[in-house]
Amino acid sequence: MEGTEFGGGAAKMGSNGTINLSPTLKAADLSGHVHHLPCCVKFTGPSDVSHYFKPRPSGFEIDGLAVEESFFRGRKLQGVTVPLPDGYSGFILGKKSTIKDKAKKTAGRGKARPTSSDSENSWETLAKCGNMTFWNHDSLPSQDDACMRLFHFFAVAKAPQAAVVDHQCILEIRPMVYLVEASE
Amino acid sequence: MTSDGGLPKWASGPCIMGIDEAGRGPVLGPMVYGCLYCALSFRETLSTLNFADSKTLKEEKREELFESLKANGSIGWAVDVIDPRELSAKMLKKCKINLNEISHDSAIGLVTRVLNMGVLLTEVFVDTVGDADKYSAKLSERFPSIKFVVAKKADSLYPVVSGASIVAKVTRDRALRNWNFDESAENMHRNFGSGYPGDPETKAWLEHHKHSVFGFPTLVRFSWGTCTTYFKDTVEVLWESDSALDENGSANKNGKRQLKLSSLGFTGYKRNSEEIESSGKGRCKFFQARKLEQLTQF
Repeated sequence: MEGTEFGGGAAKMGSNGTINLSPTLKAADLSGHVHHLPCCVKFTGPSDVSHYFKPRPSGFEIDGLAVEESFFRGRKLQGVTVPLPDGYSGFILGKKSTIKDKAKKTAGRGKARPTSSDSENSWETLAKCGNMTFWNHDSLPSQDDACMRLFHFFAVAKAPQAAVVDHQCILEIRPMVYLVEASE
Repeated sequence: MTSDGGLPKWASGPCIMGIDEAGRGPVLGPMVYGCLYCALSFRETLSTLNFADSKTLKEEKREELFESLKANGSIGWAVDVIDPRELSAKMLKKCKINLNEISHDSAIGLVTRVLNMGVLLTEVFVDTVGDADKYSAKLSERFPSIKFVVAKKADSLYPVVSGASIVAKVTRDRALRNWNFDESAENMHRNFGSGYPGDPETKAWLEHHKHSVFGFPTLVRFSWGTCTTYFKDTVEVLWESDSALDENGSANKNGKRQLKLSSLGFTGYKRNSEEIESSGKGRCKFFQARKLEQLTQF
């Protein structure tokens, strides 16, 4: 149970592995570049996001947030960029690459990532972000969207935290279709 | 885009108008609706101007005729350029709008625009691909003061529609020729061919501009059936609006449970062979509504 301070050191997840939340020197700030799409893209890996995904201001606001529009696979998307609450940070994690994983990566590009059981369950911070853009298909973003309501959890999580000092919360947003720009 | 300058005197007398479209069939680029109007008394003269169905004319001839009609003070014109992004988006909405509906709306928009300019339209000739009677009834209901003549091949039957077809076709060709890609990827080019799915040049362009994740540049109409043949070897993307497709889908180990989730638009990665994604059953409402799930394994 070493280094349980949130935002630094290694956080332990159950007894299955570790997540290193201290960003390495190369960890980029991806604020403004983390997109949550309303679809499932069956691909994990680098892609030319900034060349193809071009959000534009729509000219109107919802709850003080500027609505943007963009297109993906012919669908019109409308989204808002939501700053993460004070004291919270977004982490883009990647499985710590072991030699075995590296061999796998080159062999099976584009396949689903390896299941946790077949390699050491150890994660490292590749990048951080201070905001996220949530996109809707066909409907305007609203505070009632499940994605926007995720943030309610922080307040709820705080309550037991006050009682159990050692407790910490990591929120993994799972409808996980992120478009994150490839570094290279 | 419309003919500029103030409203000519003849426009307050009875006028006729033709409406035609260009670029309905192609898999890429905008669809353009064009109209041409003139005084009813100019009808005879119009038929001497050699306007013919734009498809039967060579490109240079069309350009020449377009320039001459623009310069002609007895003729007015307007166009509605429907962006391929808009076409794809409307046809792929959760509640899909078909091409006929988009076409009708565009024609109605043109009539409204010309009427609002103060042109006294009494008779409007419209070319159609779909059912002429229904379309005519729809237009007449919307504009009771106008007599509508809706016909297939109207572009070769009525000079005023032939003129409109030239306006539409030249506008579409120019839009495509000067197309500015949204994308900034390298090695993109504008040798689109005709844009029709069967054209070898168009096929080559599509093949060259295919992207495994993004599909195509936004110039392409993703809603066209042609695209699916190119998407066979690209990354699969699932949408809530397409969930009907999943219902007949195969490879659905978890049966109903999985189906429900994919219809919500979120299918996670397999964490192990058993657990794909929770249905939220038995979870507190607070978490269900927010699509939150406790993870025992990261």
